[in-house]
Amino acid sequence: MAEHDTAALRRNTIGSEVFAYLRRASPIAWVSQPPQSRGLIALVALVALVFPLIIDGNDADIDSAANALAFASLALGLNIVVGFAGLLDLGYAAFFAIGAYSYGFFASAQFMPDWSAFWEPFQWLHLVARVHQDGGDLVRFTVSFWLMLPISAVLAAFFGVLFGAPTLRLKGDYLAIVTLGFGEIVPIVARNWPSVTNGAMGLNGVAAPQLFGHSFGIGAQPYYFVGVALVAVLIFTSTRLKLSRVGRAWMAIREDEIAASAMGVNLVNYKLLAFAIGAAFAGATGTFYVAKLQTATPEMFMFPVSVMLLVMVVFGGIGSVWGVVVGAIILQILQSWFLEDLSQWLHALGRLIHVEWLQRIELASSIELIFGVILVFMMLYRRQGLIPASRRVQALTLQQQTAQVELTAPPPMDKLRVLSDLAYHGTEPLLDIKGLTVRFGGLVALREVSLTVPAGSVIAVIGPNGSGKSTLFNAVTGLVTPESGSVSFAGYPIERLPPHVVLGRGMARTFQNIRLFPNLTVLENVMIGMHARLHTGPTGALFRLPGTQREEAEARERCFEILTVFGNRLIPRADHVVSSLSYANRRRVEIARALASSPKLLLLDEPTAGMNPAETLELATQIKGLHNQGLTIVLIEHKLDVVVSLADNVAVLDHGEKIAEGPPDVVRRNEEVIRAYLGRSAALGSAPKGSAALA
Amino acid sequence: MAWEAVYLQQVINGLSLGAMYALLALGFTLVYGILELINFAHFNVFMISSFIGMAVLQLFGLSGQSHVLGGFALVGVLIVAFVATMLAAGLLGVGIERFALRPLRGIPGTVGMITTIGISYILFNIILLTVGAGSFNYPNPMPRIEWDVAGARLELRELLIWAVALVLMLGLHFFVSRTRLGKAMRATAQDAEAARMMGVDVDRVIITAFFLGSALAGAAALIFGLYYNYTSFIIGYTAGLRAFTAAVLGGIGSVTGAMIGGVLIGLIEALGGQVIAVRWTDVIIFSILVLVLVFAPSGLMGRANPTKS
Repeated sequence: MAEHDTAALRRNTIGSEVFAYLRRASPIAWVSQPPQSRGLIALVALVALVFPLIIDGNDADIDSAANALAFASLALGLNIVVGFAGLLDLGYAAFFAIGAYSYGFFASAQFMPDWSAFWEPFQWLHLVARVHQDGGDLVRFTVSFWLMLPISAVLAAFFGVLFGAPTLRLKGDYLAIVTLGFGEIVPIVARNWPSVTNGAMGLNGVAAPQLFGHSFGIGAQPYYFVGVALVAVLIFTSTRLKLSRVGRAWMAIREDEIAASAMGVNLVNYKLLAFAIGAAFAGATGTFYVAKLQTATPEMFMFPVSVMLLVMVVFGGIGSVWGVVVGAIILQILQSWFLEDLSQWLHALGRLIHVEWLQRIELASSIELIFGVILVFMMLYRRQGLIPASRRVQALTLQQQTAQVELTAPPPMDKLRVLSDLAYHGTEPLLDIKGLTVRFGGLVALREVSLTVPAGSVIAVIGPNGSGKSTLFNAVTGLVTPESGSVSFAGYPIERLPPHVVLGRGMARTFQNIRLFPNLTVLENVMIGMHARLHTGPTGALFRLPGTQREEAEARERCFEILTVFGNRLIPRADHVVSSLSYANRRRVEIARALASSPKLLLLDEPTAGMNPAETLELATQIKGLHNQGLTIVLIEHKLDVVVSLADNVAVLDHGEKIAEGPPDVVRRNEEVIRAYLGRSAALGSAPKGSAALA
Repeated sequence: MAWEAVYLQQVINGLSLGAMYALLALGFTLVYGILELINFAHFNVFMISSFIGMAVLQLFGLSGQSHVLGGFALVGVLIVAFVATMLAAGLLGVGIERFALRPLRGIPGTVGMITTIGISYILFNIILLTVGAGSFNYPNPMPRIEWDVAGARLELRELLIWAVALVLMLGLHFFVSRTRLGKAMRATAQDAEAARMMGVDVDRVIITAFFLGSALAGAAALIFGLYYNYTSFIIGYTAGLRAFTAAVLGGIGSVTGAMIGGVLIGLIEALGGQVIAVRWTDVIIFSILVLVLVFAPSGLMGRANPTKS
């Protein structure tokens, strides 16, 4: 009955008004797109379809447009890698090359082995043709364009994983260099392997695609429509992936790898997934491009192409799906139409006013100069690009900002669903650390530390700065590998497990120096905390079947439920980028994010650091409330009043060793503890004075 | 030639290339050591410097390889050419830092590197659009004096290249290890924040790193011209990537490592071309780049940690 009342109370205090606001708030997912943006998409699609009529069927112009679409597809693929996952790839054209040569090889007369019975089934499937020639028949590959589109995508994805796998440990700029190396190696191999690629002269006579028995031939129009379809599919795929559990995991990696891993994101899998999907886009586009040109030479895939794609992504907006499409199309149009026209005008002007050098200007050849200027200009003055990936949120009104802090019902609150999911019912201690030793080179950060955390308890870890408290958390959560000792969680050893697995087992943490995903919103941050409890994969994200939709909607609901722990502090800001929040609010978001993972055990690293006394008290009450809901908590804390009011037991670390453990008021009279905090003289002098200072 | 002589010849060639790569690699390493920034602009600072050097030599009325000088005239012209080129290159590097990179300092991630790619493109196209795409015959006043060393040919210009590179590298080593500014530089490389609090003028240190790195690229560029007797707008990319590989191989951030790495890459290029095939040289060098970064990211002498995020 009491529980019911508090629930009702909470709904009232938070107010239906706030929840209505939340529904309008810009979504990460599942809030259907507003009608005007659907209308805009329909308009864009319509313009794309009637475009050949608009420009009156001029084949050269349609051809330029088809090329622009090919580069838009590539930019979309690069955007997955660079924009979503934050992995700078300077050799992206290599995957374009792989897709291009795959189709080129299987649809040209480059490789013609002798005919034998082996090829007959393939001939029956129309994959090869028998060519009659003097001195024995030969095999000519005639694999269909439509079949090669997905095959090239898969092949390129395979190479994406192959190139990606060994490089994933590297940080941003080094990864860029390695990809640049791969990007250089692929065209050189193409040049030096004439039996497959016809070397520097390039593949010739690549077959044009056929549809219902009609060859596309050399007119640009059919290619243009295939290009439109390709871009449409890739935009759809990018958008769906971005607004899903997969996209959130990528963005988490982009923002902060360590935090992403600690929040349950498997770094290796998600980075490889980004590489694979990005490469697949390029592979399919390569096939399209070669079918259109009907030739492929190594020069089409060199470093300048990779840089041009990077310029398109940077110009349009890193991470912004529509941005990179617009960026790619603008730059291509600039290159193939506008600069030519502008040069002509300048020549005319030069003739008119008799200025010699004006008549010699060829702006089209200065396109790379323009690319360079764009890169520098965008980085210096508009890093978010033409169409930024994240919309600007309306600032809070003064009224909202200065609103009276409304805390939710006093603890005990009604139970959060995230906390009831995975409650621990075992008999062993929830966390059992035995003889844990961590060494950094010559420094022993932890020496033989043992600590037992019974289920349902609150344990505080205190100690002077540098005593190894945070190292203890890092070692327990898998961020640091201990040299010896064991850690068992809910009865299972976890000391060798990576951070995302530890989180999956039900142990979540916050960081001493706050590691949120700074450019994501409060809601997105908390949703990422839920990563390990959700199941949507790339296919689910793409097709959004009812099961996926339900999962996502429920996840959203639970996130808001968690935010209510902090009353009206976070809810009106659910939509705000966390880097714009106050320090105290960022601490709250980090706790909410950890709660979202349905933890059995919550590790809080100095949760009240930087908060004023009132905020500290408020947070302590909220932590107490969580504890009352059955959550086991270990906290590192300097503020002794917080420790005393929350903890059942206190463990004291000094120089990496546990020097005392016991109930708070026993520990604070312990002489060794006083010495560790205040020095030898204080301990020898007046113990009461020391303990007063401690309290 | 006997095969021993062929290999000896390739070692001589490799050492000359290596001297050039080492000078160029130092520029990457100096900037990386302090800013953790991979400076792609360095590629084309090198390329532009070769044109500056050419202009300086032409000021002395030199063109092609027919105006041979000797004695003090030769030494004087070369000293002036090196000093002027290095100074101009250094100022170019300082300008890049001041106007394009300083506003971005402290922004995490790859923003700085993307900017340097842009600058590199701008420099590249300035040359392409002004002097054109041709390859230019480089003025070279050095007499063709050569010695026979066990069947291999050792030329005067090679000795000169080695001497110049050695003097510059020793000078840099002395600067970094013995002077006050050098000490400030090492401190900033360790921890810029702490160095600033101890009163080090970090801006000045960064400018110095760009100046010295670019000046050494200027010297490398002049060496390139005098060694190959040509220059062109495209020389920056290949030489730059090789020098960068040298810096990585030696351990990026380490001055000694860059020197050793440069010489190693020069030898690998010359001998690899001999043993396998010249058309695979690039693949060999890029493979070294990739393999070192993946399996031994701190290189031979490095302290940097490319896997930390």
